[in-house]
Amino acid sequence: MSREEKLERAGDYALGLLEGAERQAFEAELARDPELAAIAAGFAGRLQALDDTAAAEASPELWARIEGRLGAAAQLPPVAANTNSAPAAPRWAAMAASVMLALGIGYFGGQALKPPTPAPTMVAVLLNEGDQSPGAIIEAFGDDSVRIVPLVDFAVPEGSVLQVWTLPDADTGPVSLGTLGAAAEMRLRGPDLPLPADGQLYEITLEPAPGSPTGRPTGPILVKGFAKAPI
Amino acid sequence: MARVARGDKAALGDLFAAEGGRLIAIAQRIVRRRDLAEEVVQDAFVSAWQRARQFERERGSARAWLTTIVRNRALNLLRDGARVEYHDGETLADMGDRVADAEGAFDLLAERDALRHCLGRLDRQKRRAILLCYVTGLNHGEVAASLNAPLGTVKAWIRRGVVALQECLA
Repeated sequence: MSREEKLERAGDYALGLLEGAERQAFEAELARDPELAAIAAGFAGRLQALDDTAAAEASPELWARIEGRLGAAAQLPPVAANTNSAPAAPRWAAMAASVMLALGIGYFGGQALKPPTPAPTMVAVLLNEGDQSPGAIIEAFGDDSVRIVPLVDFAVPEGSVLQVWTLPDADTGPVSLGTLGAAAEMRLRGPDLPLPADGQLYEITLEPAPGSPTGRPTGPILVKGFAKAPI
Repeated sequence: MARVARGDKAALGDLFAAEGGRLIAIAQRIVRRRDLAEEVVQDAFVSAWQRARQFERERGSARAWLTTIVRNRALNLLRDGARVEYHDGETLADMGDRVADAEGAFDLLAERDALRHCLGRLDRQKRRAILLCYVTGLNHGEVAASLNAPLGTVKAWIRRGVVALQECLA
């Protein structure tokens, strides 16, 4: 990307003009490109002067409503440190991460569970991106857990993990269901999500350990596929 | 925010007292309705509460972080469209309000703000297009409709405008 293109894309992003897949692709790019992230964070920061011109009264009743919801809203653990981030530019990295956290989907709560199981709600066969050969099967259950059965032995380089994602809907964006250190059958429990739907996307990407630094897929997609309900 | 991360609800209340009004106004410029703007801010504070410990590890201001959360939620609600019914309920008056909000935000920028200086150097139409996107959350097509200009022209204005703006701010 030329510098001019970076200014254009960062501009579109800051103005809220990137949507859906375009926006996800740009955010993945932010995580990889420190110069782009610095440009995007810098421009977004300058534009906030426009937000500072907004003023209104907030009602105490609104705070009462918010406070009433906090009891039921558990605080999430800190995001694991990004082992890959360059020390050269901590500020943009922090800002880019903040922007992405703001999207409300960073979650690294995947944890291994013991087996016994009812029937899965949905099954997805994940295909290799290149030759469309099957690479893994995912069974999604109604309790936010998934069982992963790898069909090929994915190469996982030192310092990397396999991360399992789903896309409940375009607005929510990709949600992490957890990570695997190696291609092995495993059951993971992700965050609280709506019941998996027919056609819902599942994918596995290769991410820096202990998981994507941004809370969204940043690494190459190894396999992906769409859910279908078993008969 | 560090206090919020330790589970201190009163600290979040202080943030709300300091920033709540401004954030509601930001959201309302985008979603137009006060009730929806309040809902956006409510959700944003609950989300900030849940993610406070993730924020603590980053360096940046809580104010900027909250602003970003509110802007994103408001934009999502607007794009979602189902509840805002922006297209169906469109009236000339509503369009006029958006242009007024967008230009009003520009007029309210401090005289010495570099952003004001640099936006002021853009052609009027480019400036308006950029302000309509950022301040009121319109997309390319909606800006084209409200400025009565062809879509391709509006895209070019914005593309050249954001580059010129960033070069001026650098």
